[in-house]
Amino acid sequence: MSSKPEIADALTIAEIDRDGALLEAVANLYGSSRADFLRGAAFASAAVALGLALPSEASASPKQDVGILQFDLAFEYLQSTFYTQAVRDRTVARMKPEKQRWAHVLGTHELAHVAILKDVLGKNATKKPFFNFHGVTESEEAFTKTAVAMEDLTVALLAGQAPRFSNPALTSAVFSLLTTEARHAAWARRLSGARPVAAAFDEPKTLKQVSRVVQSTRFIAARPQTGRRGKPRYTG
Amino acid sequence: MRLRLDGQFDRSSFLGRTLAASGAVALAGFAAGSGRSAAAGPSEEQNIRILNFLLRLEYAQVALYDGGVSAGALRGELREFAEVCGDQDRKHVDSLRAIVGDKAQAQPSFRFGDAVRNPARFTAAALTLEETASAAYIGQAANLTKDRLSDIAGIVAVDARHAAWIRAIAGRNPAPHAADPAKTVRQVMRTLARTKFVEQA
Amino acid sequence: MLRRRRRLAAAVVGITALIVAALVLGGSHGTPRAPAADQDPAALLPDPVAPAFKPTLRPADFTTPASRWAPVVRPAEATRVPGGRAPIARLATSTPEGTANMVLLQPGVRVVHGRMWVRVRLPVLPNNTTGWVRRDVLGGYGEVRTRLVVDRRLLTARLLRDGREIFRARVGVGAPRWPTPSGDFYIRNKLTTFDDAFYGPVAFGTSARSAVLTDWPAGGFIGIHGTNRPDLLPGRVSHGCIRMANDDILRLARLMPVGTPVTIH
Repeated sequence: MSSKPEIADALTIAEIDRDGALLEAVANLYGSSRADFLRGAAFASAAVALGLALPSEASASPKQDVGILQFDLAFEYLQSTFYTQAVRDRTVARMKPEKQRWAHVLGTHELAHVAILKDVLGKNATKKPFFNFHGVTESEEAFTKTAVAMEDLTVALLAGQAPRFSNPALTSAVFSLLTTEARHAAWARRLSGARPVAAAFDEPKTLKQVSRVVQSTRFIAARPQTGRRGKPRYTG
Repeated sequence: MRLRLDGQFDRSSFLGRTLAASGAVALAGFAAGSGRSAAAGPSEEQNIRILNFLLRLEYAQVALYDGGVSAGALRGELREFAEVCGDQDRKHVDSLRAIVGDKAQAQPSFRFGDAVRNPARFTAAALTLEETASAAYIGQAANLTKDRLSDIAGIVAVDARHAAWIRAIAGRNPAPHAADPAKTVRQVMRTLARTKFVEQA
Repeated sequence: MLRRRRRLAAAVVGITALIVAALVLGGSHGTPRAPAADQDPAALLPDPVAPAFKPTLRPADFTTPASRWAPVVRPAEATRVPGGRAPIARLATSTPEGTANMVLLQPGVRVVHGRMWVRVRLPVLPNNTTGWVRRDVLGGYGEVRTRLVVDRRLLTARLLRDGREIFRARVGVGAPRWPTPSGDFYIRNKLTTFDDAFYGPVAFGTSARSAVLTDWPAGGFIGIHGTNRPDLLPGRVSHGCIRMANDDILRLARLMPVGTPVTIH
């Protein structure tokens, strides 16, 4: 499983992705150690690291179903933007054809997941977060490693959540997403040279655990303020 | 018809709407001609029947992979696939048997013929079994009780990884759907019968 | 002979076990069924529950080209080449208007001494300057599908989305003494709710700067805004800004996000 971090930190081993690949990939880009990265030493400001909002309902109910789907949608935004950006960064264009096909298929699937969850949730749909991938999508190696970790994390998320819906039709629908993401994960692993399936059982993660991992990557960023009230001083 | 969760919901109206939605789709969708509704309701007893049904598929996978490894005709990644997935599916069998307890179905007899000796036929057989198992799991997921579902979610995911792996080995798209489809029990049994892998008494 | 008897014995045991299993499993179904090595579970099992939703694949829209911008999150130096020493520009984290400073991303990524550098369009003089900055001085990337094209000869401003025109207006541009610069720029910020009819209801700041009004307060940035003198439009009448009728700027404001690239012919 994951190696122990050498720091006393709020994040426990269970809350860090399985093999630390996400953190490793991101920390490397900052020339930082994982420990420093976790402490936020790489970042200029003391900005709060953002995670994904957790549902307020604690027990199985239609309201909790909505909360779980809202979380899933936010996570799908993370995935779809991750792939979209790698395409725009031309990182995908530099890959060999087989890997390009992988990136395009996965991106298309994640966009389809975003679209359907947005549709189902309607005005309860989560707003798309603003993402900063810290250069991960601009390096083929970092992107690939992170994709592997992210897909594994998605499987853990859905393995944990699919059984929790109060509505059986949602259970069915989300189980289909679980197997699809598991295929994504196996495919990504194989392309990265790793064994497609590392263990006999995929361990589930709670929403809180998933949120902490996402938070630790600092991929979710505060939206920059580009508009203001106030008098212009342009040349006119 | 698609479920919408965009309104202000109070419990009663939400449940009413969603049951109507899922009910309507259930009638219109699967199980043409079976006449059985999905509303039988999860129960411990039904769990056992479902898990035994799924266990049968895991047995078939283990038998095929073990057969392939011992026949010695598999090379390279295909051999690795058979060894790794054989081991993992064996653990799935153990897990399902432990859950079901003394009502666990015994392993049927299988005969794979040259599917274990011929790499191309092995690949096709593995692909069929993995895809069928995945679709079977998706089909029965919502019919299990919540705790059983939690028990097997990790198995379902790994079986899907197996499916993707063998598809990749076969040069096919590992993830052909944005959301994998379910199969009815009838469809699964028909697929299994067509393979002629299960020996009849 | 012995082997066959053992096999028969094993088969009997097996079949007996199956009969017992059938009796146990088939409880509510009354009479025990004749067991088969693969008893038909289809008779005993429910159908799948139809899924509440099914995603549909649509042609990937992430392959259509889009423009990206990024905020400057720490004070930075832009250099002529990646990892270069001599800065060609210094970038602050905010604009004179108090909004997040931003740059337009250009194609180009390099890793120098283990650090990633990216190429960007800069809001500096001389106009049309691009340079390289460290990736980690920038925040996340925003994406826009729009482009504004201003024609100083025809006195038009057109907004394109995915290459198709969705807005057009007649404009006023810089008078000969204070020309609107030509080249590639981007919308840097958007100001609203100010009480100055000279600029109309909404004013956009661009990355373009007046090459002549170099002492102008707040950097002499070229804006795109409304006007209290629509009678002057279209015409070469301003200090460099691109002016349009107030109705038009309000319409544009609904269609054009900050970060949109601007080409001025």
